[in-house]
Amino acid sequence: MAPLEATLPKSRTSFSMAALFERFGLAIFLGVLLVAAALLSPTFLRPANLINVLTIAAPLGMVVIGQAFVIMVRGLDLSVASLMATVAVLATAFKATSNEAIPAIFLAAIVFSALVGVVNGWLVAKRNVSPFLATLAMMIILQGVRFAYTGGAPISTLPPGMSFLASGRIWGIPVNLVTLAVLAIVLTVVLHRSRFGREIFMVGSNPKAAFLNGIAPDRVTIACYVICSVCAGIGGLFLLGYVGTVSNWVGQGYELDSIVAAVMGGVALSGGRGSILGALLGVAVLVVINNLVLLLGFPIEMQLIIKGIIIIGAAAFYRTRLV
Amino acid sequence: MTTLLMDLRRNRLMLSYLIVAVLILLILVAGGALSDRFLTWRNVTNVLQQLIVLGLVSLGQTFVVLMGGIDLAIGSLVGAITVFLANFLDWRPDLIWLAVPLALLAATSIGAVNGILTVVLRVHPLIVTLGMSSVIFGATLMYRKEPGGSIPRALEDIAYRNVAGIPVSAVVLVVVFAIAALWLQRTRAGRNIYFVGGDPEAARLNGFPVGRITIMAYALSGLCAGIAAIFLTARTGVGDPRIGVALTLQSITPVVVGGTILAGGRGGVLGTFLGVLLITMLNSLLNFVGVSSYYQWIIQGVIIIVAVGFHTVRRK
Amino acid sequence: MRDMSSTVIELRQIEKQYPGVKPLDRVDFTVRPGEVHALLGENGAGKSTLTRVIGGAVRPDRGTIAYLGNMVSWKNPRRAREAGIHIIHQELALFPELSVAENILVDAQPRNALGFISDRARHERAAEILAQLGVDIPTRAHVDDLPLADQQMVEIAKALVGDLKLLILDEPTAVISGKEVDLLFDNMRRLRSQGVGIVYISHRLEEIFEIADHVTILKDGQVVDSRPVRTMSRADMITRMVGRQLEQIYPARRAGGSPSGTVLSIRGLAAGPRVQDVSLDVRPGEIVGVAGMVGSGRTEVAEAVFGMRGIDKGTIELDGKPLAGHRPKTAIGRGVGFLTENRKDEGLFLNLPISNNIMAPDLGRVTRKGLIDHPRERDIARRQIADFAVATPSPDVKVGSLSGGNQQKVLFSRWSRISDRLLILDEPTRGVDIGAKVEIYRLIRKLADSGVGVLMISSELPEVVGLSDRVVVMAQGHVVGEVAGEDLCEEAIMALAVKTVDRRDVASRLGGMA
Repeated sequence: MAPLEATLPKSRTSFSMAALFERFGLAIFLGVLLVAAALLSPTFLRPANLINVLTIAAPLGMVVIGQAFVIMVRGLDLSVASLMATVAVLATAFKATSNEAIPAIFLAAIVFSALVGVVNGWLVAKRNVSPFLATLAMMIILQGVRFAYTGGAPISTLPPGMSFLASGRIWGIPVNLVTLAVLAIVLTVVLHRSRFGREIFMVGSNPKAAFLNGIAPDRVTIACYVICSVCAGIGGLFLLGYVGTVSNWVGQGYELDSIVAAVMGGVALSGGRGSILGALLGVAVLVVINNLVLLLGFPIEMQLIIKGIIIIGAAAFYRTRLV
Repeated sequence: MTTLLMDLRRNRLMLSYLIVAVLILLILVAGGALSDRFLTWRNVTNVLQQLIVLGLVSLGQTFVVLMGGIDLAIGSLVGAITVFLANFLDWRPDLIWLAVPLALLAATSIGAVNGILTVVLRVHPLIVTLGMSSVIFGATLMYRKEPGGSIPRALEDIAYRNVAGIPVSAVVLVVVFAIAALWLQRTRAGRNIYFVGGDPEAARLNGFPVGRITIMAYALSGLCAGIAAIFLTARTGVGDPRIGVALTLQSITPVVVGGTILAGGRGGVLGTFLGVLLITMLNSLLNFVGVSSYYQWIIQGVIIIVAVGFHTVRRK
Repeated sequence: MRDMSSTVIELRQIEKQYPGVKPLDRVDFTVRPGEVHALLGENGAGKSTLTRVIGGAVRPDRGTIAYLGNMVSWKNPRRAREAGIHIIHQELALFPELSVAENILVDAQPRNALGFISDRARHERAAEILAQLGVDIPTRAHVDDLPLADQQMVEIAKALVGDLKLLILDEPTAVISGKEVDLLFDNMRRLRSQGVGIVYISHRLEEIFEIADHVTILKDGQVVDSRPVRTMSRADMITRMVGRQLEQIYPARRAGGSPSGTVLSIRGLAAGPRVQDVSLDVRPGEIVGVAGMVGSGRTEVAEAVFGMRGIDKGTIELDGKPLAGHRPKTAIGRGVGFLTENRKDEGLFLNLPISNNIMAPDLGRVTRKGLIDHPRERDIARRQIADFAVATPSPDVKVGSLSGGNQQKVLFSRWSRISDRLLILDEPTRGVDIGAKVEIYRLIRKLADSGVGVLMISSELPEVVGLSDRVVVMAQGHVVGEVAGEDLCEEAIMALAVKTVDRRDVASRLGGMA
């Protein structure tokens, strides 16, 4: 403690250097990675490959944005992947073959996801269940509900327009990227500019102090879980559009990937620190690495190993940041 | 009697043991009433045989959770060890005396690596073990994607053999749990786990080697995963990289149901044992009444929430 | 009885250097057996580093340590402890979920013939040690079920397990008061008479005169003075610690008679087990001190006023209008601020900038259409930083990187900005060094002079007496009296504070004071 106090005036420059690196370190890493990818694999920069990479990144990006909100308030959501698959199954429940059902599918998915978020948030905020266990239980329960409903073998009756979510374009830009961008911008404003966003930072930084400053931490926490679930639900529909067929395991692994990306992007598990942009950079790094593993002809399992190393390394890196 | 009730109100742990014990009895009664085959010796030995794998991984998880951590690499580790064992024995079935200790050594070492990483990098164990799980799983898959290998008869025996009508595996499990309980309650090293889990900062101030104790807890978890993998290989006869995937999360339920709190420092292996018994018998009962495994998932999720809610609310 | 020629520990020319800071600079420090040696200094003067060097947690870069006449170099804290050096840290090193006995015997769990820990022997041994200390604590109780004072006794009991030679107490009285302090001092005297050397660290100077034989004062890592306590005055000590003369510690009281009107009026308040029957008034511009022992219900009254705690009976009125069933948000809206005693747990957002911390309870002021106006927020924060003399280059600096005194000033600037009716302070100068203390006293008086009512809870009697216009004394959940004007002195408060406690304790207390 004493050394920190005494060095305060001097550490000002190093403080801002650290802040600079904190802010742009990941972007620089991504840049290096992109250059390396372009040099190592001639196919990497081909438009077809890039679009493929981004299309994969979009649904994950949506989930990561939500995950970031939950981590900001010292939480964690392990149920996102299970929710994505459940939303996909829900989409088939309409047994719709015409595109008119798509708005209804979206509405149902969002409402259902929001309910899941409310339950997660309620368990964590009001019942004091640890986020890990609450969302773990939710993950298993959703899995059970989904399998019980489909009897283990879902039918893929989907409106043909669902594939538009993956391949469609607005003014030449893939629709999933447009959606991701809109979501990211809106939620960035919410997190970094709005009063509610400030309350999120306060609750994540010190829930008790937040309460004593006139904020209702429970409500803020529940709202974050709802945002997370809704993002995951929307991400689930976009992933469904990409995959094309419903299975009980749509989105499998996204709980881990979304946490990896958020942590890599500087969203601290201890709460109250992080940004949407950082989290999305984390997604970019993750998908580029995954893509590189494929392009370089390594076995796909290598992705798992690299991912594991990255998440531990990133968490260790960010832990060393100042205060 | 009244003093007993007073004690129970004070001691939530005892109360949760009692509740779980009562639930187990209820399952026995319900099973007996719903099916005349449930309480047969055949089914009882069947249930007892199933206990070992879940029991061992949950025991490993208990050590880590008591110490204030969590181990999400258990499942991948079990899968990796089964693959190692089945492939090694496929190559040299005669070297079983070497293969088994090697498997245990490997499992313990990988567990210790989890501990070392949390201590050295000071990263949350959730992240470390999640990352390690990914690494172990990926590495195992690179070596072998599909189940394979074979095991000699001698190994197969330990999964199915009975002694005096009781499955060897059940005897092993009870002995291991008894040793674990004695170790945790009555030895210095065992108590250290409670000290570190209760308050790592206080442990440091009292001069405990917190790092070494942490590593030991993870190593023990690895050892338990290794023993579980041996029994699992013995039962299935092959090495399967994916066989442990569900075990990670399954290992947490009995710990939580048994009253060990996730924050560390409170709980014990008796609770975990009862938790394992409860979950295994409940699943067996549900199978008997023909409830699909899908609903068993839902029930397991609800059990976690109820059990955690029961233990956390009192802690303000 | 004392062998003054021998020493328990003798540090010579100890130096310790960290990047950019030198917490210990050629320090000589000697403790003799049977001596209570007070270690004084402002925060950051090097006291804790020195205790860590003695206890083996920090290795000095240069210098020698002689323990019981032999040169030593501790490999780790455990070695020092095994050799008979025991440190009681400010934050207790106890395991709340475990039994008292297990905590006491944390280093030396008795074993049976088979080598296993024996539960029975453990409790017998622990009970013996507690009896030695003269306290009656059940050995099977969980530590977190014990009151704080008992927890501290458990901590001291740990020291008695081995062969204790040197006991170091780091601000042990920060969390206890009155009777508990007496018990602690009695035990320290007993240990002293047994030849144990004791190092005593405290910010409360009056305690030094009561218990210490010798005093060493550190400033900026150097020993600036070391001599018998009886040769020093209180003013000497302060001057030495601060390095300059403090003209006046407490600001002048309000001139003229008592102000008219009432800001806060509490009548017959009962809230939870610790608040039984409390009535008190605070007038505008007045500083009302609340004294009483820890556990007398002082903090709980404040919590009830601020809406953190339900009201069972009675009324709380602010400006004549009732406050009931409210949350902190309501109280803040009515112009009430509450500076809690634990600034890290309940006060600050350590990883957020100063500006966010200052504006935390008043986000509405800088919110336009749901969005926060950052430039405006920074402007307000800059003004506050200047007004409260917070040492920082910018309002964007994270609060966690400030010193304790500056953190406390940030909290002050937060709450005094929004408290235009009433400011409640709970231990406003805890863990703050004397220089910052004087600054804070001045700020409190300035705020009161602007017409705000101030309710100040404090365990430091000199502070209560020096700053308050009027003091309300609480004991066991009741207001037991009030002192003001000419009668306002430490003895009068103490006499009231022990009033309802049973007679034997009063007798011992009075005996101790005589």
